[in-house]
Amino acid sequence: MSAPAKAPVVPAYADTPLREKVLRRIRNRPTTRGAAILLGILVMLAVLAPVIAPQNPHDLAALSVMDNRLAPGDSGMTGITYWLGSDAQGRDMLSAILYGLRTSLMVGLTATAGALVIGITAGLLAAQFGGAVDAVIMRVVDFMLGFPSILIALVLLASIGRGVDKVIFAIVLVQWAQYARLMRAAALVERRKEYIEAALNFGLPTRHIMLAHLLPNSVGSVLVVASISIASAITLEATLSFLGVGVPVTQPSLGLLIANGFEFLLSGEYWIAVFPGIALVLLIMSLNLVGDRLRRSFNVRS
Amino acid sequence: MRKSLMVAALAGTCLAAAPAWAQTLRIALASEPTAVDPHYHDLTPNNALAQHIFDSLVRQDEKQKLHPSLANSWENDGKNRWTFKLRQGVTFSNGKPFTAEDVVFTFCRTLKNETKVSDSFADITGNFASVEAPDAHTLIINTINPEPLMPNLLSSLSILSASIVEHGPISYDVPKNCGVTGAWPAVSGFNDGSLAIGTGPYKLKSYVRGSSIELERNPSYWGKAEPWATVRLLPVTNAGPRLAGLLAGDYDVIENPAARDLGRIKGDKRFGHVVTPSTRVMYFQLDVARDQSPFVKAEDGKNPLKDPRVRKAMSLAIDRDAIVKRIMDGAAEPAYQFLPTGMFGTLPNPPKLAYDPAAAKKLMAEAGYAKGFQLTLSSTNDRYINDSQITQAVAQYLTQIGIKTEVDAMTRAIYFPRRAKKEFSVALGGWGSGTGEAASFLRQWPPTPNDEKTLGGSNYGGYKNDAFDKVIRTAVTTLDDAKRAELLQEAGKLVLADGAFIPLHFESGIWAFKSDLNVTGRADQFMLAMSVKPVAK
Repeated sequence: MSAPAKAPVVPAYADTPLREKVLRRIRNRPTTRGAAILLGILVMLAVLAPVIAPQNPHDLAALSVMDNRLAPGDSGMTGITYWLGSDAQGRDMLSAILYGLRTSLMVGLTATAGALVIGITAGLLAAQFGGAVDAVIMRVVDFMLGFPSILIALVLLASIGRGVDKVIFAIVLVQWAQYARLMRAAALVERRKEYIEAALNFGLPTRHIMLAHLLPNSVGSVLVVASISIASAITLEATLSFLGVGVPVTQPSLGLLIANGFEFLLSGEYWIAVFPGIALVLLIMSLNLVGDRLRRSFNVRS
Repeated sequence: MRKSLMVAALAGTCLAAAPAWAQTLRIALASEPTAVDPHYHDLTPNNALAQHIFDSLVRQDEKQKLHPSLANSWENDGKNRWTFKLRQGVTFSNGKPFTAEDVVFTFCRTLKNETKVSDSFADITGNFASVEAPDAHTLIINTINPEPLMPNLLSSLSILSASIVEHGPISYDVPKNCGVTGAWPAVSGFNDGSLAIGTGPYKLKSYVRGSSIELERNPSYWGKAEPWATVRLLPVTNAGPRLAGLLAGDYDVIENPAARDLGRIKGDKRFGHVVTPSTRVMYFQLDVARDQSPFVKAEDGKNPLKDPRVRKAMSLAIDRDAIVKRIMDGAAEPAYQFLPTGMFGTLPNPPKLAYDPAAAKKLMAEAGYAKGFQLTLSSTNDRYINDSQITQAVAQYLTQIGIKTEVDAMTRAIYFPRRAKKEFSVALGGWGSGTGEAASFLRQWPPTPNDEKTLGGSNYGGYKNDAFDKVIRTAVTTLDDAKRAELLQEAGKLVLADGAFIPLHFESGIWAFKSDLNVTGRADQFMLAMSVKPVAK
């Protein structure tokens, strides 16, 4: 990462460390700053959910059907006050949303990390070895990108069943291809540079060139795109759960909560769908704003 | 001559004057049929769709009483012989006349049906020793065992046209392929419309899975012509959008709006609704046979569902009144047996299945499961009224007595084939009595399957009780009504006592519609365009 810093004459701005630059960019924009703070709060809530939630919505023994569909602010037979109402199973919506945020973030982060590892490896291999390896990997990538991601995920989950682990697997499967393509493009550009040629002439082993030179110098743009893709991974999870193939019904994520509440909208019991909807919108929006700013910051540099 | 011309002209004017709404009927279905093939799977939505396109020998009205249809009359000789006189002058929608040959072909097809799910309808024909057609409009069925319910059973069997296959002379000779020389019809042929040839009031125009089923009036129908030129059946599995569609004018009739939403249309003059108690029982079927069950995990490595005490505890743990009140919004009745009290063969005073979690915990401890075990309930999420919600509520109740319960709710197209392959441990079921009496459930679900496949076709849990098997075998072959009713009551008692089937409640069917229509609610919950008539003005 330090390669450009070694240039003899550079404007002062380029001397600032990368992290500082990114933080400055986020701080200087009120919307981005707001989004970053909001994102921080949401992440905190998700992390602290087991401590702050009035009820464990995943523990069926804690729920009571007799408390179902209570309006926000009502108290039920179990003694809890349902500040955001309760759903058809008597689940406290506030607790369900906190736990739902947790599931959403966990799925988004894990799936993106998984997709990154596979995508970067595949892209790097394709760029380094070219020829048949490149052709095979890139045709698989083309094939994967040829289908709408929701379709692949739906078919996959319909056959392997529900579960948080399976949803993560499905999202990894549909997202790795875009990282592979990006990584390959970036690595190909990098490979034509002189320092790689030099390394080749020194007779350094291929593995060393790939891991020590190609990877660190071309991975930046992929990571930036990945920061935005967390949001799309979360959206995909929410969509799959909304369609009924995602997480199990007894451990609802935000998407599943919305799907459950959708049925009751017409009955005037808006809180079952609307509150998790708001939580999802805030999460996706803050992630997108922060991610987008990151991407623009780096585009300016390149 | 002149007079008849005038009548014709008058009739023409009347038709022309009929408002446009009288031509197309749009119905939003709560549950989509899984195939057009009437023998594919014995499911209510499938059977209801079949009745538009096909006829049976006998027809059931909205109260499940029998009426002549393709058969004018039938009689039993007091033993194993049934004689049906068939209706004359009936033609199939492809112009071929209806004869006894078509009926014989249909019977054979139920036994040669390779694309079916479970033993749908073969449980009826499995009991046929021989079928003869002395002339084109007489049919004699000799059964292996006496069959008191022959007309009731045949009312669910849609009659196909023999002209849909290549064949020589048709006879009921199953080992010799019944005279059929070509390939037996498969489900795909019905779904694409090419084999969907029936004598019913409507013809299939198109079937697009997940989107719509279009029917058009069959001009050569033998009965009274239906008021609708076309009928569109639109699957809308979510109750909210279904009602929203009715309110917005997208649908004319909707099936099963949520009971909690009825308040919205009660005061509205533009809409009407009807609530009809049904014969459908909702229950859980437990895997009581296997030592290792796929969705049960106990510390001792055994299958706790094999222990009657555990099953009793599970039933005691469930608050049926709460489910009816809070989940079904009152549009159901708690079930203490498998058919509503008062119907043929039911217990007059079934003991209430009480909610007693303390007693349930005690039984669990006695059985050695004081710490409980892990269990996954399997359920549909788009077939029965509030199916996934019911299963989740039961999961709550089971968790409260220590059984750590999860729920796997899936679409019926995946659920039913998986259940038939015995992939579940505890499976939600819903069974409407197709015959309107108690044997319907008792012959299909709990018996040990027999060689003729007439009993126990859906015994996926491997329930086996020799005493029950003996009683039900006698019951279904007893022609004397009073005696049969007594035997069925005894059989019902035995099944209830073993707890391999845990009844929950009986559904009520609800229909909501535009007020310029009249809809007859049916006890069998069939959604039929034939139940919908324009209000005479």
